Amino acid sequence: MTARVTAPVMVRVTVRVTVRVTVRATVALAVADFRERVRRPAYAMILLAAVGLARLAVPPADSRWVILDVGGYRGVYTSAWVGTATALAGALWLTTGGFYLIRDAIGRDERTRVGQLVAATPLRTSAYLLGKFLSDFLVLASMAGVLAVTAPVMQLARGESGVVDPVALLLPFAAITLPPLALTAAAAVLFETVPLLRGGVGNVVWFVVSLVLLIGGQSRSAPLGGLGVHQAADSMRAALAARGVDVHGREFSLGLTSVTRSLRTFQWDGFSVTGAFLGGRLVVFLLAVVLALLPCLWFARFDPARRLSGPAVAPYEPDVATEDRRPAFRTTLPSTPRVAPRPGRALRRLLSGELRILLQGVSRWWWLVAAGVTAAAFATPEPATMLPFAWIWPVLIWSRLGTQRVEYGVEGLLGAYPAPRRGLLAEWAAGVVLTAVTGVGPLVRMAVATDWPGVRSWAGGTLLVPALALVLGVACRTHRVFQVVYLGLWYLAVNGTAAVDYMGAVRSEGLPAGPSPLVVAVLAAALVCAALAVRTARHAVR
Amino acid sequence: MIDTPTLELVDVTKIYKGGKRAVDGVTLRCGAGLLGLLGPNGAGKSTLMRICATVTRPTGGRVLFDGTDVVSRPGALRGVLGYLPQDFGVYPHLTAREFLSYLAALKGLAARPARARVDELLELVNLTEAVRTPLGKYSGGMLRRVGIAQALLADPRVLIVDEPTAGLDPEERVRFRALLGDLAEDRVVLLSTHIVSDIESVASDVAVVAGGRLLRRGTPEALLSEVDGQVWETVAGPSEAAALRERHPASRVIRTADGIRLRLLSDTPPATGAVRVPPDLEDLYLAVVGGGVREAAR
Repeated sequence: MTARVTAPVMVRVTVRVTVRVTVRATVALAVADFRERVRRPAYAMILLAAVGLARLAVPPADSRWVILDVGGYRGVYTSAWVGTATALAGALWLTTGGFYLIRDAIGRDERTRVGQLVAATPLRTSAYLLGKFLSDFLVLASMAGVLAVTAPVMQLARGESGVVDPVALLLPFAAITLPPLALTAAAAVLFETVPLLRGGVGNVVWFVVSLVLLIGGQSRSAPLGGLGVHQAADSMRAALAARGVDVHGREFSLGLTSVTRSLRTFQWDGFSVTGAFLGGRLVVFLLAVVLALLPCLWFARFDPARRLSGPAVAPYEPDVATEDRRPAFRTTLPSTPRVAPRPGRALRRLLSGELRILLQGVSRWWWLVAAGVTAAAFATPEPATMLPFAWIWPVLIWSRLGTQRVEYGVEGLLGAYPAPRRGLLAEWAAGVVLTAVTGVGPLVRMAVATDWPGVRSWAGGTLLVPALALVLGVACRTHRVFQVVYLGLWYLAVNGTAAVDYMGAVRSEGLPAGPSPLVVAVLAAALVCAALAVRTARHAVR
Repeated sequence: MIDTPTLELVDVTKIYKGGKRAVDGVTLRCGAGLLGLLGPNGAGKSTLMRICATVTRPTGGRVLFDGTDVVSRPGALRGVLGYLPQDFGVYPHLTAREFLSYLAALKGLAARPARARVDELLELVNLTEAVRTPLGKYSGGMLRRVGIAQALLADPRVLIVDEPTAGLDPEERVRFRALLGDLAEDRVVLLSTHIVSDIESVASDVAVVAGGRLLRRGTPEALLSEVDGQVWETVAGPSEAAALRERHPASRVIRTADGIRLRLLSDTPPATGAVRVPPDLEDLYLAVVGGGVREAAR
């Protein structure tokens, strides 16, 4: 007897097989990508940093630096408090910082040309993007996992409660930490597929977006429960009120802050998880998946011809007639070269070469905005008002310092060139020139107003910023670290943190309140020396 | 009169992390002239080239330039060195002249002669027409020519070129080999390649490297004498040809109308009617790297 298979059944079977193949391919891609990342030495450092973060989230009882402050109170270090505090800290920092660690999953495929191999397979674009999203999420989740494992260790180490409640410890990670991390992973995929956001601009944009998300996400009116802070915060306030503490006007503060005196403690047994709360968290997850799949609409699957923007430089089209007329090489050199090269002073040319390399490919628009900021510096009432703006604009250019040799593969060539120290100093000097030029408006204003303390601070900043960029570029070989560190420093300085004010923006009685320009200059010199040491050490183990 | 430079490697070893022995006790002495370094992919040629160019530090042994140990004092060689690595990058938004001028400054060359030298080299490698074009627009062959120009910037006494003909078209390869031959007159020129014809046409001195070890060193004539009388040509049908290839290393297999023409390495005639032919470097290479030479013949 012959079994006859009807058409609808065949369609069902085909669909089922296709779905199974796609799911298997997506998971395989995510796992391969995840393996590739976790086998790098940097991953161990990332996990180590996560352990440090977990330690920071549960500070000693007498610490003046706290993560979670409920109007001068903190919970006794029970599993519920330690789990929630660590989970909230994880959500906060892994969202902002984690993005910079995971982005580049698609960029790496393009650079290594694995993308071209993937593009030639039947793998659907949606499966590829989903795989990358899962891999990004897995990396972030593994960091959250380290936080979750470290949390009970910290609870026992602090010794305020010896009872470890796994549910109270882990639930906050699932409900509070993972949903924003899913959004972060989706944003990383999304940013990589939008040409404008793929590079440094994306890094800056994410810094702002994540701050908005994290600050806005703590608002009571945030959609989908925001960060999920309120469920916990309301429960903490209720516990305080039950203890007879007046909770009215007491602020719930999340983030590393300094307190004038150690926090008092209260007993808190955790927050109850409602169905609506969990539903909101689930919707955040689904939103992340949708966000990650959104680039299906435009992602070009590594086809250069379908890029949204053209390549940095268009391919060379030789003049055929010219090429035919002349040989590629003259077959003989004169026995004595016409030009006998001889050693001489090359510092000025080296500096101009480094400047050219630093500023290569910078668009006219960039210069136009820089000119606009400089012009605006002459129109403000206070001489130094525009300095923070002048010194945020070149952040993407500064971040090239120390990285371009590796980025463009020139390092192998330059390894055989003499005087490597001279090259590094010239690179820093080029950064100093750029910093000085972009900050020239406020400098002139301060000089005219005889604001000499301001001028000295300006000089310190001019030396420090490129030195910081250089050392981070040489050590980390990526633009991202400087971009994140500098944005953080700049943000703190602009918001009045005098201790890190490298440019003299924070004033007290008209004078710069930040560190002495001499200290800043010495720090700059130390950073340049550190960059030199790193490059020398790297060369020594070549 | 210019002193003849010498580059000497004494028991040089390089062990990478994980224990891979890329170079294993190589001892070489090179004076003026072109030494062709021949070996299969992964033989350790590029590592050896990088060690000679002071880019890679050997795990053991010494590299001497005119008697100075350049492992501890690389500056002694770098000032007079021209190095073209197998793979190298460029700054894509710079023009060839800007890039070469920058490298000349890194070499510490005086301004005016550097400018004239860059012009001369651009003319030499025929890039004067594309001199205003950013390097990012160059083809692979043009970039290779930029690499060759930078290696010649400081009129080097030692020239180290690693797979220099990759990306060049056949005519460019012929002309470049001729250029190397001219340069080798009073310089140490080290040419590394796995393309036997590159070496055959220009090297007066050949070294064969495999598995990180120096297997042979000598003039092409001396090396060829090792396989003299062991190279045969014969024409066979498909099944016989397959059997012959099983038994003897084949340096060439060409399908013709009469059957398959084979060039085989063997001490005795591999087949009835096989004709003994003079060996070339490809036969020697196969014999040495493929283990086709009897120990007694060494």
